Amino acid sequence: MKYLTTLNDKTYLIEINDDRHVAVDGKTYEIDLEAVADQPLYSLLIDNQSFEGFVENDDEGWRVLMRGDLYQARVVDERAVRLAKSAGGTVAQTGDFQLKAPMPGLVVSVPVSEGQAVKKGDIIVILESMKMQNELKSPRDGTVARVKVKGGDTVEQNQIMITVSGG
Amino acid sequence: MSNVTKVLIANRGEIAVRIIRACRELGIETVAVYSEADRNAMHVRNADRAYFIGPAPSRDSYLRIDKMLEVAKKSGADAIHPGYGFLAEREEFAQACADEGITFIGPKPSSIAAMGDKAVARATVTKAGVPIVPGTEGEGDLSDDEIIAIAPQIGFPLLIKATAGGGGKGMREVHSPDELLQALASARREAESAFGDGNVYLEKLMTGARHIEIQIMADTHGNVIHLGERECSIQRRHQKVLEESPSPFVNDDNDLRRRMGEVACRASSAVGYINAGTIEFLVDKEKNFFFLEMNTRLQVEHPVTELVTGVDIVKEQIRIARGRKLSREQDQIEMNGWAIECRVNAEDPYNNFMPSTGLVTASILPTGPGVRVDTGVYSGYTIPRYYDSLISKVICWGETRGEALLRMRRALEEYKIVGVKTNIPLHQNLLDSHRFLAGQFDTRFLEERFEMDRQSTPHPEIAAILATLVAHRRGQEAAQIVQRGARDTSNWKWVGRYERMHR
Repeated sequence: MKYLTTLNDKTYLIEINDDRHVAVDGKTYEIDLEAVADQPLYSLLIDNQSFEGFVENDDEGWRVLMRGDLYQARVVDERAVRLAKSAGGTVAQTGDFQLKAPMPGLVVSVPVSEGQAVKKGDIIVILESMKMQNELKSPRDGTVARVKVKGGDTVEQNQIMITVSGG
Repeated sequence: MSNVTKVLIANRGEIAVRIIRACRELGIETVAVYSEADRNAMHVRNADRAYFIGPAPSRDSYLRIDKMLEVAKKSGADAIHPGYGFLAEREEFAQACADEGITFIGPKPSSIAAMGDKAVARATVTKAGVPIVPGTEGEGDLSDDEIIAIAPQIGFPLLIKATAGGGGKGMREVHSPDELLQALASARREAESAFGDGNVYLEKLMTGARHIEIQIMADTHGNVIHLGERECSIQRRHQKVLEESPSPFVNDDNDLRRRMGEVACRASSAVGYINAGTIEFLVDKEKNFFFLEMNTRLQVEHPVTELVTGVDIVKEQIRIARGRKLSREQDQIEMNGWAIECRVNAEDPYNNFMPSTGLVTASILPTGPGVRVDTGVYSGYTIPRYYDSLISKVICWGETRGEALLRMRRALEEYKIVGVKTNIPLHQNLLDSHRFLAGQFDTRFLEERFEMDRQSTPHPEIAAILATLVAHRRGQEAAQIVQRGARDTSNWKWVGRYERMHR
């Protein structure tokens, strides 16, 4: 999985493909991460360099306290960024919202039907992709205007799946 | 000679644990008291006996003189150690112990009373030839006109303080005569609303002054010695945060140390002081020192003195209470090496020092050469909201200040407390501050010239990786991840889905 992590105004593209490796902007490191005594305190070995830090998250993002320094990080799933982009960046609170497939995949289910009222955050499509089921949510309150896919459909990237109308 | 065979510790937290340790080493039985919030506290677990004394708020438990005496009688304790805070500086408590024939491990009630009243204390030590910060206290309540007349004699800048004062209320700094009248009016107004008493007095404002104190010990045979100084200028809101001994300002000026020590001994003799006590001084840039006040009890920061002098102050207190002579004479006191203490508080240095209470899910203490930790907190302990925020004191010794500082840095890196926020990052930042390392600081340093937000954070990439790895792990745990092939549901459902797909 790819993540875009922003810290001190710098964004890193961090790719995690297995438990033992991480690639940062294309450079691969060997890693080993252990929680200390089941606590939000983590021991990280990175290319055999040992670090220890407290990691917690809140509304602001992730806080890492390490060797007396506090770092604030924002971690976003790269696919979520693509989703946001494909949905036209920031979503206006009025007008129609068209949910496009952020990636090619298989529609597992559509838990809503046309004419149904939805709230911001309601799951409107479950899309399976990259061996994972992803819950796609409505970005705002509204009514489901059109449902163009059904469970079992295969969709291409950017294919419009559902339209939610505002108000 | 008084008998001290069973000591009731009228306190809680790390200091109760500290006193129990001294008693254990002396073969003295210990009696703990605890409130509703403290059944699981370390001092209760470590003591020989423990008695419940009431609800969590201090006024219903740790401040109840009657309960303490009741427990003393019930348990057969023949002495009481008050620790610091709570009842430690209450004349009536020391008196009540004396009335009941219980040895109070501390000074006489009259000494507590004399030093407790600021005006009396200043008058008493002045009579003994001890310099005090120039001011008008002790001259009674003055009118605005009288104050304006006296002000130039004290000199600017000066400080207006409320007679009934405390906590900085009704306190104003005045830098020139034309500011005086306005500052007077606002100080009186604030004092009136805070204490119902608008009376104020003037005190010379010492700029760039340091807070340095002298530990004294006095026995019942007329011997008074001092154990050198402690540097306590690193403060936040008048609360000490980090202390060291010796003071980098006094350092190898043995003459200054001797003079301050002698003055401290004289000040304590002036009130007939017995047992351990501390004289606080303000020391200006020219090394003039002025009496501030006397603390008639064991201090939080006593361990730094213990580490450099080798004297166990709590055991010495018990020795004095037993009526024996001090174990050492003045010329046997030598300051060896350097000691630093960091007070670890349950507060968030990144969120305006907001107190943090609750369950401590993990506590990994620093150990190794030259490290001492005094604490009552352990993994699984819940920090109650009723008492002070002190979690522990980390004290490090080194042959030199440099070694002690580096050792403290190392120790704080080892120290891991999870569950509550602590001010450990504050100490770590302080130990990286060039001005602090160079010993160039006064009482205003921490609040006015120190910033928590450091410009250089040395490992941003590592922090980014760590945050991402943890976010990834949490995401994997939280999302109901269903891998193709690893079926999340019954085979019948899968057949159904498969058939729908292939219609």
